[in-house]
Formats: sequence, structure tokens, C-alpha cells
Amino acid sequence: MNSYQNNIRNFSIIAHIDHGKSTLADRIIEKTGLVAQRDMKEQFLDNMDLERERGITIKLQTTRLLYKAKDGQEYIFNLIDTPGHVDFTYEVSRSLAACEGAILIVDATQGVEAQTLANVYLALDEDLEILPVLNKIDLPSARPDEIKMEIEELIGIDAENAPLVSAKEGIGIEDVLEDVVKNVPPPSGDVDGQLKALIFDSYYDSYKGVVVYVRLFDGKVKKGDIIRLMSTNKKYEVTEVGFYSPGPTAAKELRAGEVGYICASIKQVKDARVGDTVTLDADPTKEPLAGYKEPQSMVFCGIYPAEGEKYETVRDALEKLQVNDAAFHFEPETSTALGFGFRCGFLGLLHMEIIVERLEREFDLAVITTSPSVIYKVVMTDGSVQMIQNPTNLPDPIRIDHIEEPIVKADIMIPKEYVGSIMEICQDRRGKMIHMEYLTETRVQLHYEMPLNEVIYDFFDALKSKTRGYGSLDYEFIRYENSKVVKMDILLNKDLVDAFSMIVHESKAYARGRFVCEKLKEIIPKHQFEIPIQASIGQKVIARETVGALRKDVTAKCYGGDISRKKKLLEKQKEGKKRMRQFGSVEVPQEAFTAVLKYDDNK
Amino acid sequence: MKKLGLYVHIPFCLQKCVYCDFLSSANGDATLYEDYVRALLSETAAKGPSYGDYTVDTVFIGGGTPSVLEGGQILRIMDNIREHFSVDEEAEITIEANPGTLTEQKLNDFGRACINRLSMGVQSFDDGLLRLIGRIHTAHEARESFLMARRAGFDNINLDLMFSIPGHTHEKWKETLDAAVALRPEHISLYSLQIEEGTPLFASFERGEFIPASDADDRSMYRTGLSTLQAAGYVQYEISNVALPGRESRHNLKYWSMDEYLSLGIGGHSFVNNTRFSNTTDIARYIADAGKTEAATFHVNSVRDNAGEFVFTGLRKTEGISLTEFARRIGVPFDEFYRTEEREIRKYTAGGFLELNGDRLRLTETGTDISNAVMSVFV
Repeated sequence: MNSYQNNIRNFSIIAHIDHGKSTLADRIIEKTGLVAQRDMKEQFLDNMDLERERGITIKLQTTRLLYKAKDGQEYIFNLIDTPGHVDFTYEVSRSLAACEGAILIVDATQGVEAQTLANVYLALDEDLEILPVLNKIDLPSARPDEIKMEIEELIGIDAENAPLVSAKEGIGIEDVLEDVVKNVPPPSGDVDGQLKALIFDSYYDSYKGVVVYVRLFDGKVKKGDIIRLMSTNKKYEVTEVGFYSPGPTAAKELRAGEVGYICASIKQVKDARVGDTVTLDADPTKEPLAGYKEPQSMVFCGIYPAEGEKYETVRDALEKLQVNDAAFHFEPETSTALGFGFRCGFLGLLHMEIIVERLEREFDLAVITTSPSVIYKVVMTDGSVQMIQNPTNLPDPIRIDHIEEPIVKADIMIPKEYVGSIMEICQDRRGKMIHMEYLTETRVQLHYEMPLNEVIYDFFDALKSKTRGYGSLDYEFIRYENSKVVKMDILLNKDLVDAFSMIVHESKAYARGRFVCEKLKEIIPKHQFEIPIQASIGQKVIARETVGALRKDVTAKCYGGDISRKKKLLEKQKEGKKRMRQFGSVEVPQEAFTAVLKYDDNK
Repeated sequence: MKKLGLYVHIPFCLQKCVYCDFLSSANGDATLYEDYVRALLSETAAKGPSYGDYTVDTVFIGGGTPSVLEGGQILRIMDNIREHFSVDEEAEITIEANPGTLTEQKLNDFGRACINRLSMGVQSFDDGLLRLIGRIHTAHEARESFLMARRAGFDNINLDLMFSIPGHTHEKWKETLDAAVALRPEHISLYSLQIEEGTPLFASFERGEFIPASDADDRSMYRTGLSTLQAAGYVQYEISNVALPGRESRHNLKYWSMDEYLSLGIGGHSFVNNTRFSNTTDIARYIADAGKTEAATFHVNSVRDNAGEFVFTGLRKTEGISLTEFARRIGVPFDEFYRTEEREIRKYTAGGFLELNGDRLRLTETGTDISNAVMSVFV
């Protein structure tokens, strides 16, 4: 081991959403004096507003901190933050791979959650030293002793000496820092060996191009070096290396065991993918680091400009988002109902919601999203296979031999009183129970295999709603399975509206069809004529509702000259009309598209 | 001289009707009434001088129930108006009066105030329905009041009638219409009960205590109303109004013709000099400021405002609007102004909701039923 490595600690913080990861990171940064308190924004590491609002970290931020420990020595802490959601498991695993240890935050009032467990397993996969920390110790409902037992029982690590902290109140932070010094092993690695660096994050900077976050395992890298990215074999000249503290600080070189950034005039984030290995072109390492995976979109939907929004504006915004998000894909598509738009691919449902929200908030765009879909494996009668994610593209059933759908392994953790109702919703969503275990006396983990199609439809909302927010879910793709899925179409006034088409399991088609028809009946305003709303499979109508004709919309008496009030009402009416989409002769409010997807507690 | 309509708001009632969302209170007493009248006199005196180049050709004292005031108070209000405004000798001067608040004395006072038109809130000639909607009078009292007004010399009387009352049947509605026709008023307003948010009726509806008339029933009662009254010699001139020939309400027509009018009293809305403004709705403040509280809202109309208002108010009239008049007022021909709405307009003309006949654009019978949808195209 090289001596400079003795004083380096590379670690992450892992936790369930809301357990206080970002707040603890803030306190650590504050405690190490990196950022003056007055400059601190709440939750320093989450630098997107949206993340701050949702309390989750989407994009990683890595920071180098200096800590003067009680032993009198100064340590370099590389704090590598991880995203905290089920859709970003791969990114989490790569961040963890850059560390030697992980602080595991457990909420002292809530205990271990499915997400916590999932992250712990990822950390254990990377052989990390896990340092449990109990947070929110200041709350009256904190049960530290009980939760410590729970950690030992569930995770099998010693929690006896776990620091008791309140990140919010700044209690116990020093204990955590000392714990890191003592228990996270320093990095090792041969500084004179061939360069082997792991990309665990990257982002686009309009001045520097793509900035790549790396952890060096062997060798060193400096400005002027020609590097090679091993998955693509593309070469780039390094223009700058450095680290964040928290602003970018250029350094002479980065060495084995260190964490920092590399700039090399890389044009797009997707050219510097998370998990890829960086080496020197002149003297490359023989083996890339293990664990690289191409990001794979699991969920797809159409995104269309809403009435009055330009196609080009939406495209520009999507391009900007893509620059920074290697997992997000889009391509142009056309819908007969919605016109020109985009087919977009996401890691999961949350990823999709985040992108849509960013379009709306950061870019101030109004968009329509169509029903999310998964990728179906369509095996044709001639033996060929088509991967279909847009219901509209499903081939003629006569030519289809069978269809396979993606199945995920879903781990659901809930308080035991909800077991009955959750088993019911799982069953209702075609879940197969693999097993159920009592993690503690009050907590149960259900292991299910479930079609992804059902998970992305409304499962998460249903789970949250049925467990009053206490249920948590973690899922991952396991395989494709033969399935009796069919394409269900929606007809408005006899015209098919392709944007409403969806692929559903045969057994669910009737219920889903009825639900969509009822929702549309609620949302579509009365017209001057009757509007039949039909759900059909092929030629067969499986559900039908009718929006009655508008018989009356008249203000009988107008009060003494208050024309302004009447005008405002008419203007509102006109405004409402503008937000409508015209399908044939029928005007449909834009919210119809989201409303047909929403979980309804009463159904 | 320019013409001006004057509206005077009296925000008091003996009892609020369950459906009413107008600015009116049943909590007033004689002291408050008198304080309010004084503030009104003061407002009138303050505003009069600005209208030196106007002749007032209509006055409408509305409410609330203006007839809750003493006859002497009404007399003072009118005298005061005449003192500070130039009121045409032929002016149409209307007061709203509810059966149950009228006495011979009051009617005589109204006559002395040169009030020449009465608008009576009869609503129905069915006692059960009257009770249901919180009216304080019976059908018999309504008839008595009407006849009393006739005896007092009022030869221009309007009756307000209401349909689509919860539990209203076609038979009962027909009876009310026949009873009204038998009295031979010069003018009848007929309108369907609207369930307005914030009213006791709305709360009752929310609690599911009654089923409102269906749209189909409502429209059919409306048609019955119009045809019955037309058969009796009345002519429809506005969505909710019919009159014997020549007895249309000139004051009301001002609202639908973009004519100028000034409102006095709380909550009143005015349109003068291309500007819409309104008075405060706070009676305490109004009284404290002696009627000189500054305008609560104030808006100078744009060309777009004027075009929209001209069309949608004009379409309330049976004769509709004149496109020549539109171009004269707005400065741009109708077709050109509404080029982007062309498709929508065509949809309604093709569907038989709007009718263009030479220079006139008007709502058809079915167009009237959905008039808000049609009007909203033009705002």
C-alpha cells in the first residue's frame, strides 16, 4: 500500500428514501468545514430542485472533504452519494463499487425498509464495510434499541456501537466521522500499475464537455494523457483532472485509490457510461473492471407536445435532458391521434415521472404522455421475434404465435397488518408469491414474481395507498414469460384513438376497459351530440359508456349589468376548450391521458 | 346628449331565498336602512356632476328587495337623483318589489317618485313551491299585490317567474304560466332556478336532499313557457324575457346593447366611457365613507373586450347582433376579427345553433339552450 492511501476514506451513504441521507451528508460537509454554514443550501448534494422537492437523489454528486480526526491526523474523505430509488439500482451499485465502506442510515422511528435491505445487499456484493447509523434520534418516537436489534437480526451486522444521530439537529455527527476513520478500510491499489479507473457518474458541462467521475483502482492519470474507454474503445485526450471540494478544483494528477473527475472533450454522456473502465491508450490494462452493464430501458411511453406547444421545443428539451442522462432514450414517433411526438424509454416508472416533471417545470412545457408500456417479446408464426413496446406496433394477431412479457422479482416490505390487503393487490396484478418472511415481529417481506406491466400500471400507488405509505417496494427484471396479453383499443365516437391503446392481460381486459371508459365519461365534456366510448379487442367491444349530448348550457338571468363576471365565465370556458385535443369530432381534455392511468382506490 | 341608465342597489331583504346569491342581507334594521340611504344620497350627489353631459333615460332600483324601504326613503332617493342628474321626462323608472312588502301607501309613494314600472318577484303561483324556495308570500298575496299595483295606477308591470324548481312538474309550471297570463302583466321574465354555490339550496343539493330538474326537463319547461306566453300575445326579445309589443325593458336592453349605465349603491357595476367599474361590496365601509368608497374594480375595455362583449351580450337578444354595427363599433369587420375562430363559428352555424341572416347573427332556439358554449367562442 502506498502511504498516501492510508489517509483516504472512500465511502457512500445508503438509506431508504426519507431516512435522512442528504441531511446527514449536509452535516458531514458542514462539520468538515468545507462549506461555510451560511453558504449551505439545505441538502447540498441534491442539486436539482426536483430532487430537493421529492427528497430523493437522482443524480450523483461526489465531494472531497478534509477531516482532522481525534488521532491528530488529517484524512481525505471522498463522499460518494448514491441515488435513492429502485429505478437506479445499477447506478447505485457502480457508486458503491467506487467505495470501501458505506454508512447505512436507518430511521430510528421506522426501522429497516425494503429499500434499505436492497441497498445493503448491493453494498455487501461490493464487499463494503457497513457502518450502521441510527438517525432521527431526536424524535420522541425513536426506538434505537429496538431498531439496533432489528438491524442485527435482518442484516446480520453488529449494530451495538452504531452512532445515534440526528442529522437535522446536528447530533452525533462527529461519532460518524470517527467511525469512518476507524472502520472504513483505506484504499489499496498499485499507483505504478496500468491505469484502471471506474466511471461511476458523468454529467455534461457546456464548457468542459462531459465531466466523468472516476475512482482509480490502479495507476494514475493527468492532463495530456490519451485515455481509452474500454466498452467503446474510443480515445480522448485528457484536458483536466481534479476533484470536487465542492466546486471543481483542478489537480496535477489522480492516483490509485483516489476519487475525482476527468475532462476529455467527450461530447455526450452516453459515450462515458457508468460502469465503464478508463485506461491509458499507451499502456492499457488487460482486463476491464467487472460489472459493466448497458443501461436498459424497461418502461416506455409516448411524449407529445400538448395543444399550443411546438414539436421542436419539446425535442430540444428532450435532447438537453438526454445529454445528462445516459439511461433516457427517445426517438420520433407519430400518432394519428396526437400527431408528431416521441417514443421515450426509461429505467422505470419513477424515472419516467421525473423526466416528464422536468419537462414541465424546468422547460415550462406542456406535454401529453401516453400509457406507459413495457417491452413485449412477440414471437411470430414464422419463428422470428419482434420486441414491441408501442401497442400501436403490435402485429396482426394472425401472424403472432405467442407473446412473452417481462417478469420482475418484487420484494415488498410492509407492516404485518397489511399483509392481507397487499397479497390481494398482488394477486389481482397476477403476482405469484414465492415466499413470505417475518423479518421481525411486526414486519413482513413478501417475495413475488410479477409482470412488470402490472407493476408500472398502478402497483406502486396502490401499495402506498393501502399501507398508508408504509409499504416499500424493490423490483428487478428476471425473465420473459409466455403470456396471454392482448391489445385493447379505445374508440371515441367510433374512431380509434391510438394514444389510448394499451397492451393488457386477457384476464384484466374487461375490468381495465370498463375503468377507462368510465374515466373518459367523467372527463369528456358533453358535446352537441352523443359520444359513444368503447373499449375493444380487435372487433369485439368489451366495454361501453356514453357521454350524453349537451342539452343545456345557458345562464338564465344575468344580474344587473355584471358583464365582467359573465365574461370571465365565458373566458374560462374558452380556455378550457383550448386545452382540449380534437379527435375527429370529439374534444378531449388533456388530463384524460393521465387520468386513465391513475390508481383509483375505489376500484 | 348622451344617454345613461342608472341602477340603484338596495341590498336588503326580509328573508333570503334559498337559491339567492345576490348581494343582499336579511339582517338589516331600520337604522341600517336609513344609514345606507344616506350614503346612497351622498354618493349620488358626489357622482352627479361628472355626468353633466348625460341624460338619464332609465332608472332601475333593484336588490335585494327595494320595497323593504319606506316609501319616503324611495322618494328621497329619486328626488335626489333628479337633483343631481338630468333625468328625462319620458324615462323608464323601475322598482323591484316583492309581494308581501307592498302596501297602498308605498305604491302611492312610488307614484309620487314618478316610478312608472314595477318588477314583481312572483316566481310561482304554487304555495308549496313558494315555501320550498323560501319566498315570504303566497300565490294569493302575489295576486293581491298585483291588483293593488294596478289600482295604484301602475300600467307597466313585470312578473318574474321561475321554473326547474325542485319537484316542479310541467302541470304546476303550466298553472303558474296561466295564472300569470290571466293577470296580463306587460312583461314577464322567465328563468330556470340555478343552484349557485354558497346558497342554502346548494348545501341541500350537496346533501342529496333533492334531485335537480334534468336538462331535458328544464329545456322543455322553457319551451312550454315561451310557447304559452307567445300564444298569449307576448313577444320574446331576450333569452329570459318576453313583453307585450313596445313594453320591453329599456333598462335591461342597455346591458345587452353595450349602452352606458352607472350603478349607485354597494356592489353595483357600471359601464361608462368604455370603462367597466364596480362599487365596493362592503356595506359598513360604504356607509362610513358616505358612499364615496373608491371603485372596487376598474377596467378600461380593450378592443377585444368590446368585441367579445358586444357579441355575447347581443346574442342574448332575440334579434341578435348586426354585423354592420359590430364593424362600426370595433373598427374591423366581423369576419376579419374572428378569423381564427372561423372553424368554431362554422361548426355552430352548420349545426343549427347560430343563424346568419343577411346582416344579423343570432342564436337559434337550440343555440339558446347551449348559449354559453356558443358565446364563449367570441370572448
